[in-house]
Amino acid sequence: MTSGARTTERRLLILGGVSLAATLVLLVATEAFGFTPQDASQPEYRAMPVIGSRVAMWVVAQLHLMFAAFVLAVPMFALIIEIIGYVTKDKRYDDLAYEFTKLLSVSFSFTATLGALLTFMLIVLYPRLAGYMVKIFSWTFFPYVLLFFLEAIFLYSYYYGWGKFSPKVHIALGVGLNIVGTAIMFIADAWLTFMNTPNGISETGELVSMWDAVNNFIWMPINVHRIIANVAFGGSVAAAYGAYKFLGAKNDRERAHYDWMGYIGNFIAISALLPLPFAGYWLGKEIYAYSQSLGITLMGGTFSWLFIIQAVLIGNLFLAANYYLWVSMERIEGAERYRKFIKYLLASIAVCFLVWATPHSLVASVEESRAMGGSHHPVLGVLGVMSAKNTAVNILILTTYISFLLYRRGNKEATVSWARTGNIIQFSIFAAVIIFVVFLGVYGYFVEARVRIGLSVPQVLSVLFAMIAVTIIDIFLFKNAKIRGEIRWGDMPARAQYALFFIAITFAWTMGLMGYVRAGMRQHWHVYGVMADTSPDAFTPTLGFASNVISITVLIFFTFIAFVFWLAGLSGKKTVSETVEEAP
Amino acid sequence: MNLIVVGAVVAALIALRFLKPNALAWTAATWVALYVAFRWGIEPPLPASIVNMFMGIVTIALLAFVSADSERLRSAKSNIVNFLVRKKYTVPLLIVLVALPLLVAFKIYVDMSRSPQPPVTGRTIHPPPPATISFKGKTVDLGAVENPFREIEETDPEVFAAHVENGKRVYHQNCVFCHGDHMEGDGIFAHGFDPIPANFQDATTIAMLQESYLFWRIAKGAPGLPMESTPWASAMPAWEKFLTEDEIWDVIIFLYDYTGHRPRAKEELH
Amino acid sequence: MKTGLKIFAFAILVSLFYSYVGQTVPQKITYPPESAELGADMSATELAAAGEEIVGGKGTCLGCHTIGSHSESLRFPDLGGIGAAAATRVEGQDDVTYLAESLYEPNKFIVEGFLGGMPVINKPPIGLSDDEIKAVIAYLQSLGGTPTVTLATDLGYTTAEQATASPAQAAASGASTGPALDGPGVFAAYGCAACHNILTADRGVGPSLHDTGSRMTKPEIYEAIVDPDAIVAEGYPAGVMGATLSASGFYQKVSTEELKALVDYLADQKGG
Repeated sequence: MTSGARTTERRLLILGGVSLAATLVLLVATEAFGFTPQDASQPEYRAMPVIGSRVAMWVVAQLHLMFAAFVLAVPMFALIIEIIGYVTKDKRYDDLAYEFTKLLSVSFSFTATLGALLTFMLIVLYPRLAGYMVKIFSWTFFPYVLLFFLEAIFLYSYYYGWGKFSPKVHIALGVGLNIVGTAIMFIADAWLTFMNTPNGISETGELVSMWDAVNNFIWMPINVHRIIANVAFGGSVAAAYGAYKFLGAKNDRERAHYDWMGYIGNFIAISALLPLPFAGYWLGKEIYAYSQSLGITLMGGTFSWLFIIQAVLIGNLFLAANYYLWVSMERIEGAERYRKFIKYLLASIAVCFLVWATPHSLVASVEESRAMGGSHHPVLGVLGVMSAKNTAVNILILTTYISFLLYRRGNKEATVSWARTGNIIQFSIFAAVIIFVVFLGVYGYFVEARVRIGLSVPQVLSVLFAMIAVTIIDIFLFKNAKIRGEIRWGDMPARAQYALFFIAITFAWTMGLMGYVRAGMRQHWHVYGVMADTSPDAFTPTLGFASNVISITVLIFFTFIAFVFWLAGLSGKKTVSETVEEAP
Repeated sequence: MNLIVVGAVVAALIALRFLKPNALAWTAATWVALYVAFRWGIEPPLPASIVNMFMGIVTIALLAFVSADSERLRSAKSNIVNFLVRKKYTVPLLIVLVALPLLVAFKIYVDMSRSPQPPVTGRTIHPPPPATISFKGKTVDLGAVENPFREIEETDPEVFAAHVENGKRVYHQNCVFCHGDHMEGDGIFAHGFDPIPANFQDATTIAMLQESYLFWRIAKGAPGLPMESTPWASAMPAWEKFLTEDEIWDVIIFLYDYTGHRPRAKEELH
Repeated sequence: MKTGLKIFAFAILVSLFYSYVGQTVPQKITYPPESAELGADMSATELAAAGEEIVGGKGTCLGCHTIGSHSESLRFPDLGGIGAAAATRVEGQDDVTYLAESLYEPNKFIVEGFLGGMPVINKPPIGLSDDEIKAVIAYLQSLGGTPTVTLATDLGYTTAEQATASPAQAAASGASTGPALDGPGVFAAYGCAACHNILTADRGVGPSLHDTGSRMTKPEIYEAIVDPDAIVAEGYPAGVMGATLSASGFYQKVSTEELKALVDYLADQKGG
């Protein structure tokens, strides 16, 4: 390591340390001046000039969340990649894991600083809410601070100890890092989910059971949903890093390395994306279980159009992910055999996208709605309901899986004797599951709502079954397969890299949107049904306004992330060229 | 579904396969074909907002289609470059260059010159009737009341015919101006109303209703409508001020007699 | 650097695209519900009209229920004709009793073919007041029937004062946050009448206030409340009122609005 790189690392360490210290001071300050003694002169709100308290809190919270998601996700897959490298003794996995980890330290500092800012602003701008939250959750702050401290220790020792400990110790550090990180998120999730579905309190808002307050209706669903979404988001940002380095690469070796890195990042992102709709479904179910009115506010009322925007985002994500795989197939010799299927896959995705994005009640002018006989179109109306959407998302997932399957097969040719039979079985599984899923979707129109809701479960299970069964067959099918040609890493057009940026930005935007609806569904409540929002910002803004705030937040995030990438590039200048020597 | 349009689009797409056009032409043709199918192929027509959204998704998908294959992208690019630089395309190029801004200007013109429109409101067309109404000082139980002349339809056709005749007189003196000569809701005043008068020939109006419901609607008119049916959005007068009870029952008989519908039976009340 | 700029421009383009998508959907601002103004002298029909506002607004009823929908696959009972149906749903319950129970204890009787789970209407987050619920019932009666309920009707349910005001709010800020009281309300709520007569000239523990407006200006009334010992009325002991009010927590609880309402009310008492 050169002295320049060492200085940079030291600087990063200092930066991280300072911001960590700041966080701790502020967290302790929250405790000490937690406004528990109620002072009559204490105002309920303070106003943020120009942009208003809500927008300020909103942007800072969302930025904090995005960085936190990244910081929690990267160690997860860095560790998995490291373990793969350790088990297969393939050095390039270890290097890749290290390169991912390199993005962490600055991001960690940013997360901590933004978290401190968030706490600070909550106390200053929303003293009444902050006071109440402190009152309910007072004892969770200490383990939080402690875990934060541990997180810093684990993170820096994991990062700086790379190659300096024995692999097993290092992996253990990684495991510790992940456990602590997840625990931190669980605690923070308890605070925010409590605001959505308060639990464990008396009718007058006094705390009855701390554990019930923590373990409220959507705490676990949010935890699970966030872990998966974090991995997807982290993978997409890491892929964007690979794409960024790819575009700036100076030689074929670097290009090959960063192409591979982008591919792995994207693979992680998409693998995590596939189960996400199901986790979201569970979350939605728990929200309904807590309160039907809250659920309907979310899905059928004020926010129903938000989910049309979400459909556009998710549709774009699936399309871009498949697109990346299709373009990637060009660098695999032999994959040209499968190119003819692309247009059918694309058609399937486009149709599902159309179905998913079709709203139930349409925006129509007077003449148009008179022609339709209401705001529901007689033909299109059938696409607007849950049955159609569930079917569409299941087929989308299956299509993406097929794209990946074809990509995986690109340069392989099965040599086992039962190759033909195996293919037929795989094909039959797909055909049967698709028919089954579509059948259930259509059947849903002919049964009562109660039965209809239940139909989504067999749909999901059949898709999962198809993916698992086909994967298992595929593994055996291509055991000792004949390799038709090499994968030419680095032989990728720039537009595929832009697809990776597109995926990362879309992920970030989706997170922004979902973060908004999570907070926004409380409408004029700070703590739903318990503490009303009486500030001038109590109204729910238009979706257009929310979209603009989300766009600005996303751009600020990527400006920060660009800075992180740049710093990571500085610290690793030497390492990269070393790594590239060993790249395939 | 407008089968002619959909059929034409499908036929055009099949024909396209035999013509083997280049990637760019194929993409453009598919885009146009889908636009035609969404815009005119579905009955009743889709709202413009939905067509725009669908075409947005189609555009993204087609862009992905062209660029997912390097070979196809190259050929599509070279098509565009050829069109821009080749001598023989100069005239069409000029036409396109002039036409594009004109099209945009035309669209803006169309958007701007649209007449102002009232906001859309939900309106219940057949609201549930009240249990009772007061008619000229007496209380009418809408759940129980029957057309007093309906029972003589079978037993005394001659007298019944007289009631039909009287209903015809009442209709042509009072109702015809809005509900029309043939009861299709297209009388000479009909075009002035929004919503338009009810079309009794339509199987979803009087054929689905009981005679007591019609009695309520005729006697109380728009002012008697409940809030969900926006009483101000109907021009129907309250005929209790102009007609006798017997006249109302007669005109109801005439409505069913002329249209050939049968009133809904009492038992089906829900 | 050039690549970086290109990527950033790309990020801006994509964000702009999504912002644009966000502008194309219906734009609606949802304001926090406002309490309806219900007068005690409203007729049942007027109350029904007010109830309709509540059903569509603060009560958020129409988020789930439809009115007059004939769709086959309803998830929640349709309210069309409920005014007529209410009297027949449960044996032995008339329409008002049935509707009141449906709002105060919604899961006691579930309409056949539907699932329970309707929130209790007089509790947060919806938290309608008893009077607002009466207005809602009057409106529901008007759907297919004739409204009979007025604010004087006794439904057999009452909501504890604590539950309607936001409890945590009260707990957290330590100040009274119930709906602002009017002058007579303040006078009654803080127990002024224990010592002062307001209707007659008879003296109690403290002087009668029936003619306050004719002998004191508003600033003087303010002072007499906020600092009772500044000027003590002749013939009465000093310090009693100040000590009583301090002990009862009056000075902590009373809001500026309430104080103003009280002073205005007292200033209106011209005697005679």
